[in-house]
Amino acid sequence: MIDAIPLLAEINPGFWVILAGLICALLPIGSLRKAFVIAVPLIAGVLIFQLHDPTQAARLGGVLQFGPVELTTFRLDSLSLIWAYLFCLAGIINGIYGLHEKCRITDSSALIYTGAAISGVLAGDMITLFIMWELTAISSVFLIWKGGEQAYAAGIRYLAIQVLSGVMLLTGAILHAQANGGDFTFGAIGLDSPGGWLMLLAMGIKCGFPMLHMWMQDAYPKASITGTVILASFTTKFAIYALARGFAGEGILIWVGAIMAIFPIAFAIVENDLRRILSYSINSQLGFMVAGIGVGSAMALNGVAGHVFVNVLAKGLLFMSVGAVMHRVGTAKASELGGLFRSMPFSTGFALVGAMTLAATPLFAGFITKAFILTAVIEEHHYVPFVLLLLGAAGMVGFAEIKVPYSAFFGRDSGRRVKEAPWNMHLAMGIAAFICVYLAWPFGGYAQLYALMPFEMKYAYKPYTVDHVAFQLQLLFGVLFAFNLFLRWKRYRAPQRAEVLDVDWLYRRMGLNVSLWASAMWTRLSAVTRQQRNRFLGTAGRKFYQTFSPAGAASEATPSGLAAVLTAGLLFIVLMVAYIAR
Amino acid sequence: MALLNYFPDWLLVHGPGFLMALPLLMAAVTALLPNKRIGWISTFIVTAILTVTAFGIALYNIEVGTFIYKMGGWAPPHGISLYIDALNAPLVLLVALMAFITVIYALPATIAEIKPNKRAPFYAAFLLCIAGLLGMVVTGDAFNVFVFLEVSSISTYTLVAMGAARDRRALSAAYNYLILGSIGATFFVIGIGFLYMETGTLNMADMARILADLDGGSRVAKVAFGFIIIGLGLKLAMFPLHTWLPGAYAHSPTPVTAFLASTATKAALYLLLRFTFFVFDPSFAYVADVLMFVLVGLGVIGMLFASLTAIFQTDVRRMLAFSSVAQVGYMLLGIGIATTASVAAGYLHILNHAIIKGGLFLALGAMWYRFGITRMEDFRGLGKTMPLTMGAFTISGLSLIGVPFTAGFVSKINLAGAAADAGWWWAVGVIMLTSILALVYIGRLLLIAYFQSPPEVDGAVVKRNEAPLAMLIPIWTLAILSIVIGIESDLIVEASVRAAELLLGAG
Amino acid sequence: MSVETETPMETAATPNSGADIHPAAQPFLFLTRDKVRRNFLWLPLVGLIICSVLGVFHPQKHPLPYEQYIPGSWAIFGFLVFCGVGLCATTFAHFLARPESYYGEGGLPDPEDSLEASEAKGDAT
Repeated sequence: MIDAIPLLAEINPGFWVILAGLICALLPIGSLRKAFVIAVPLIAGVLIFQLHDPTQAARLGGVLQFGPVELTTFRLDSLSLIWAYLFCLAGIINGIYGLHEKCRITDSSALIYTGAAISGVLAGDMITLFIMWELTAISSVFLIWKGGEQAYAAGIRYLAIQVLSGVMLLTGAILHAQANGGDFTFGAIGLDSPGGWLMLLAMGIKCGFPMLHMWMQDAYPKASITGTVILASFTTKFAIYALARGFAGEGILIWVGAIMAIFPIAFAIVENDLRRILSYSINSQLGFMVAGIGVGSAMALNGVAGHVFVNVLAKGLLFMSVGAVMHRVGTAKASELGGLFRSMPFSTGFALVGAMTLAATPLFAGFITKAFILTAVIEEHHYVPFVLLLLGAAGMVGFAEIKVPYSAFFGRDSGRRVKEAPWNMHLAMGIAAFICVYLAWPFGGYAQLYALMPFEMKYAYKPYTVDHVAFQLQLLFGVLFAFNLFLRWKRYRAPQRAEVLDVDWLYRRMGLNVSLWASAMWTRLSAVTRQQRNRFLGTAGRKFYQTFSPAGAASEATPSGLAAVLTAGLLFIVLMVAYIAR
Repeated sequence: MALLNYFPDWLLVHGPGFLMALPLLMAAVTALLPNKRIGWISTFIVTAILTVTAFGIALYNIEVGTFIYKMGGWAPPHGISLYIDALNAPLVLLVALMAFITVIYALPATIAEIKPNKRAPFYAAFLLCIAGLLGMVVTGDAFNVFVFLEVSSISTYTLVAMGAARDRRALSAAYNYLILGSIGATFFVIGIGFLYMETGTLNMADMARILADLDGGSRVAKVAFGFIIIGLGLKLAMFPLHTWLPGAYAHSPTPVTAFLASTATKAALYLLLRFTFFVFDPSFAYVADVLMFVLVGLGVIGMLFASLTAIFQTDVRRMLAFSSVAQVGYMLLGIGIATTASVAAGYLHILNHAIIKGGLFLALGAMWYRFGITRMEDFRGLGKTMPLTMGAFTISGLSLIGVPFTAGFVSKINLAGAAADAGWWWAVGVIMLTSILALVYIGRLLLIAYFQSPPEVDGAVVKRNEAPLAMLIPIWTLAILSIVIGIESDLIVEASVRAAELLLGAG
Repeated sequence: MSVETETPMETAATPNSGADIHPAAQPFLFLTRDKVRRNFLWLPLVGLIICSVLGVFHPQKHPLPYEQYIPGSWAIFGFLVFCGVGLCATTFAHFLARPESYYGEGGLPDPEDSLEASEAKGDAT
């Protein structure tokens, strides 16, 4: 296929997905759109498979020259490969999941969003990266707005923050390129220049650094059912890719990641909305990845790549099962749910697979990838971050991975008896669940995961050693035991309706109030000072007018006598200057 | 240069002499011609020939560098010699081209503004003015400069006074100009006299050599320099010696205004460059100090003061006249910083401003021709009633402000860059500030023209009434030229850098 | 004494058998039995003990400093983390939780028959 059409090797495969999304925006036939949504990411995946040459370090293509700036719109190497495959796969699964939904906007923006994410990870220069960075933001905001009226403001906030991140990325990229002789190639960036810091901050916004994370928990739970599933797959993982490419081995990231892994726990405990809990869980998992990038060894980066892959599928699985519940019940609030396994047993099963994968249970893929990162962290003797990461892992197991299935499917019976989810949702969840299990299968399965990992390692890490399994199970059993003890002693905090405050309080509440206060004060102040101001401005304006107006001093037709005197005076000045010159 | 092959050799060799002799001769002939139309035709042909010749000479200058034409075969310093070098070749072309463009425009304009029996003398005076300007640009003899300065000045007084048919105030403006212009010329010739006393020669190259030998010369040379600077300052409307300019620009016939604005002050600026950098030298302490303190100081004050004054004007031509004073400030700033880059930027602004202001005044003249517009509020709805003229006015106006992709941007950015390179950051600030002021006064006009509806006359909205083709062609030529320079600036920037390198030495 | 018997919804309102249970869920209904739920506790405890014993015989390749002296270290860690965080839940809620209408943007959609609404009704009648 590639040999027949050499042009295909020059064009970033993500562009085809974006193109399909644009076509979908105009296509009135629903079934055809659905075919597009599933088939085009598949085709893009096949194309990437065909284009990938394992013997080659990197395939470059689509080089465009704009004045002094050289853009490499297509670069396929081992690091971008796994992300590209992942995004294609996620696109397909999301497409299947949304098969029942007849909505042109969702289809088209999902495709453009997927395509932008694929193009972004396959971009070889920072300008293309920036364009895709913004395109993911702009195309995905429609998914949020499809969540209904209450999502509108959240969508605007999401868009504002994402676009801000993009602008920072571009500014940083330009500064960085300037410092490096106009080279816009996207490679390791480092923190030597202000441009590097700016880019780090831009990526930090997008992958939810502590204090910069609030857009995620604000927007994700408010999107439509399919929208949340799609959103959770791409934006943050794209940012992780950029971080892994640009800032691998920056020590500060270990600490950032460690803090990121633990702080969402506090919010997840209190939160009632299951989708928002899952958003916090994403944030914690992203912390693991950021810490892995901070370590920067081949093993850590492989772990990050693998963890991203597994995490998209497993988190998607949980989002999909919660979405299925929402599809049938109409809400994802824990306080409204419970005991649903009686009517939705398959969704329950898939949710459990997802939860166990995220909890890194042996025989599930997360077990392997999380071990990669933790081992890499401790191999480099980062003991405190290691403890923090472990704390994050244990906490999130307790308050997200157990809490979500427990409060939706088990727990007290809400009395709701609904239909099981539609078949397409089951299919999508089934594919994701299968991969989650398959990639951890002790006899050959995890070798497939290793084959995808970008870097060569000194030795192949063996996940299924007795000590590793035993200690991981210790952690899980410890948490589970404590959880049961809490239930038994009625210490477990039952989900309650609440709006949980996060950093977004700073602008949604405090910023708003401060600006309201300031505007009220300004109104009063201006009322008080109006007279003085008017008098001052009036005087100044009159003075100006008297000087410069046609009737004023400056533009009066000067009598020639006066002008002659002026000339003489000036001559005197010039002669004086010439006379006293050194 | 392939184009150069099309010019006959005699034209190139005798071109400098031809440039001053032809309009001088034809002025006399034109004055005697009976019919007004023939006067125009002869002027048109003369200016066309001059433009071609000037173009050839400019190309020839690029080809061979500086060349000297000896009048009558007498060698300098005893004979009179004409110089063509990188400094004046572009200006020769500019003067000839602007004359040619103005003459095309003058065909309808003179019919409206000049009485039939005055048209032949008008064209004769116009040709004399051209001869004077070209002469003072090409000549290498200091006294000749004075002679040609007077030729051009006296013909200019006549031309300005001819606006009396339209506006009687032209007479007082011409009288004012006459007095001050004569003072300026007198100062200049006194300066030349002192210089002759000091060096014993009138040839400028000789003067330069002798002054360099004397290391700046005695106090006599200093006095000479002072007189020359003030004399030229009057001619080039250096603030505060600009008082003759707004009246002369506002009341003279419209083609004269355009021609004067784009050439007369520019020729005087050329002389300033010639005398401060070529005859005298900035390495003399008194020259450096005068440049630094007087020219820059007055230039910057003039930029601010004249821009502010322009904002408050109600008469559009006075507004543009004050804007010209402000723009002269830019050029003086460029000259005063006295680095190669800044002098190049100042020189570039001389050329660009000629094109911009010429376009603006021509467009304004066309508006007067159709609607009698002189005041700001008359601009109401001009975007609808004269869209083509107003379009060209807009382009030239944006160029004056310094919007990117226009000529004004090229010279302002070069000037700001040169000032920054020299460490004059406050000057960069002043350039920015005056550009904003320019935005205010031009933007005010554009707002009135485009966002207010045309006035009603006798209950009916004024209909579209576009300027005649003979006016539109020159107006648009200049507007397009300013965009072309803005986009493809390399050629003109190179020319200005060559001129600056000639004056200050490469680097 | 278990949590579940306390909630009135559990047994009274909806019986655990009948046609409205998904056929695939029928075999797992035993999970809802009181006895199972109460004694589920022992499963992780047994697992925990087994794994801790295993951990003693197969020590970690990369332990934390001093970790090798604590048998079942990760189990204790997990247990303590959950207890520590879980006991802080009320404090967190005090600082972070606000009524749903706090921002005035409207909460997320609820099903027509909200549980709390029906509970309130049930109390009233």
